Amino acid sequence: MEEILKVENLKKTFTLSRKQQRIEKTNLSVKVAVDNLSFSAYKGEIFGLLGPNGAGKTTTLRMLATLIKPESGNAYICGKSVVSEANAVRRKIGFLTSELKLEDFFTPNYLFGFFSELYGVDKQTADARRRALFSRFGIDRFAEVKFGNLSTGMKQKVSLVISIVHDPELIIFDEPTNGLDVLTAKVVTDFLEELRCDGKTIILSTHIFSLVEKLCDRVGIIIDGKLAALDTLEALTKENNLETTFFDIYGKVTGGRI
Amino acid sequence: MKNVFTIIKKEFSRFFKDRRMVVTVLLPGLLIYVIYSIMGAVFSDMTGVDEDYKPTAYIFGAPTDISAQLSEVLNVTEQTSLDDAKTAVTDGKLDIVLVFPSNFSQTVGTQTPPDVKVYYNSSNSNSVYGYTFVTALLGQMNTSAFTVNATPDKFNLATERDLAGSFTSTIMPMLMFALLASGCMAVAPESIAGEKERGTMATMLITPVRRVELALGKIISLTCFALLSGISSFIGVILSLPKLMGTSIGAETAALYSVGDYFLVLAVIISVVLVIISAFSVVSAYAKSVKEAGSLISPLMILVIVFGMATMFFANSTPHVAIYLVPLLGSGLALSSIMSFAVNPLGLALSVLSNLVITVALVVLLAFMFKSEKIMFKK
Repeated sequence: MEEILKVENLKKTFTLSRKQQRIEKTNLSVKVAVDNLSFSAYKGEIFGLLGPNGAGKTTTLRMLATLIKPESGNAYICGKSVVSEANAVRRKIGFLTSELKLEDFFTPNYLFGFFSELYGVDKQTADARRRALFSRFGIDRFAEVKFGNLSTGMKQKVSLVISIVHDPELIIFDEPTNGLDVLTAKVVTDFLEELRCDGKTIILSTHIFSLVEKLCDRVGIIIDGKLAALDTLEALTKENNLETTFFDIYGKVTGGRI
Repeated sequence: MKNVFTIIKKEFSRFFKDRRMVVTVLLPGLLIYVIYSIMGAVFSDMTGVDEDYKPTAYIFGAPTDISAQLSEVLNVTEQTSLDDAKTAVTDGKLDIVLVFPSNFSQTVGTQTPPDVKVYYNSSNSNSVYGYTFVTALLGQMNTSAFTVNATPDKFNLATERDLAGSFTSTIMPMLMFALLASGCMAVAPESIAGEKERGTMATMLITPVRRVELALGKIISLTCFALLSGISSFIGVILSLPKLMGTSIGAETAALYSVGDYFLVLAVIISVVLVIISAFSVVSAYAKSVKEAGSLISPLMILVIVFGMATMFFANSTPHVAIYLVPLLGSGLALSSIMSFAVNPLGLALSVLSNLVITVALVVLLAFMFKSEKIMFKK
């Protein structure tokens, strides 16, 4: 299997201000958000990152997306380092997260064109891709409506489409179905399956067990910044369902702390 | 009434718990104190006319005793004729001309006292100083024995062109800087801090666009918007000059300058906008929100306007060419020199150049800030 993503001993710490120390209820001035994380993802698979809030999932994804730099370790996407070849990595990945927003003043048509240019997609290819994706998600009718005037579901569809304007090899989704109605959520999950069929690699970060069970081939469970488990979905759910397995592992790692 | 106090208490608590807010509220006052103190120290020897300055004067028909008295405090010169002396005042070669009537000695102290005429040039600060000095001196001699400039005549020998040039060169730098700064203020925080706050900046940061390209793209487009705002305000000012100043000066002011002058003004203000917008952009990139950016930029606005005002301190002197290298201050001097029809080409070039250098440095800094996760993603 072709290795698309290779994460090697990725580590990230954050310095806590006094205010943050009070919020986190700790005397430590440094918080280890991601602690020596290592895993790989292969072509045509959906890799799930499962973990509670604050486990380090989003920090990991941000490092993979080159938004922040790891303190130590490295990650390679299609052989390119997120540390030393950030721009090359950016051409290979698509990133969809609620943290990244699109300008309300622009229409989906304009946004698609704008991001295609930034990614260096030629106009002809971009036009063909726009037609296909807009049609696939029913965006055609809203192509000239300002983004700010679209419904939440349509906004998420447009954001999804924009994140893959450049046809990336690796697509990172951070809670892609959060806040969506069931119909839009289904459109999104169906599309993830389509992308897998097209040979794309997907990193899916979520805390929704059912979504992982439905989509993921392999799952990494992150707790307190560390990889607590990494296996195929089949192996992880051999004896119990994913939820029970997760809480068993969580209990062992944290000593039962909730 | 109790609720009013509860709300006041909450507002005070909110205010004093937010250190940034306290600092940004108090910073302008502190900044003004520091800037004015520095300026006072630096420019003290450049402001106004030198205390020891002896105005140059041509005295016509003065009685011997008064002439002797005046000669002690004035630098009395010889002229071929009264008309030549007046022309010299107009040209700035002579400060004042005093004309005593031929029957001065006979009529002094009578029911019809003689009138002493003092001619000056209001566009020349030395001449204005000389005029003020001499009229005060004559007043001290004998307030009722004779009059000064009581008969109708044109005592101010400045030409319309000189008057307009003097007026516009004095107010234009400050006015333009204020207008340009408010134009920059209107666009920079929204475009940078706003994008950061809304999360749309991060969307661009995950694309392969180089940070320096992003910084440059922002600066150039914001410069255009701010320039548009500045130029529209400038045109507004020029068009309103007749109403503001009265038709004697204002109506023809715009026409006094050549197309070349306007191009020079444009070159200077483009470089000024580049510096201001770059500085405001850097502050906006540092700020967490549009609101915070606005608060942090306010002291900078004051600083920019003060630089515009500082130009006035050089009105009476020829600044050393190195002063033109001081960003914004040099631009103010360059603007002033264009407006007063005395362009200093080297100074103008240096001021534009120094602004461009500062802009490049700020663009690089902005690009670094776009790379910094601590700045771009701090909560």
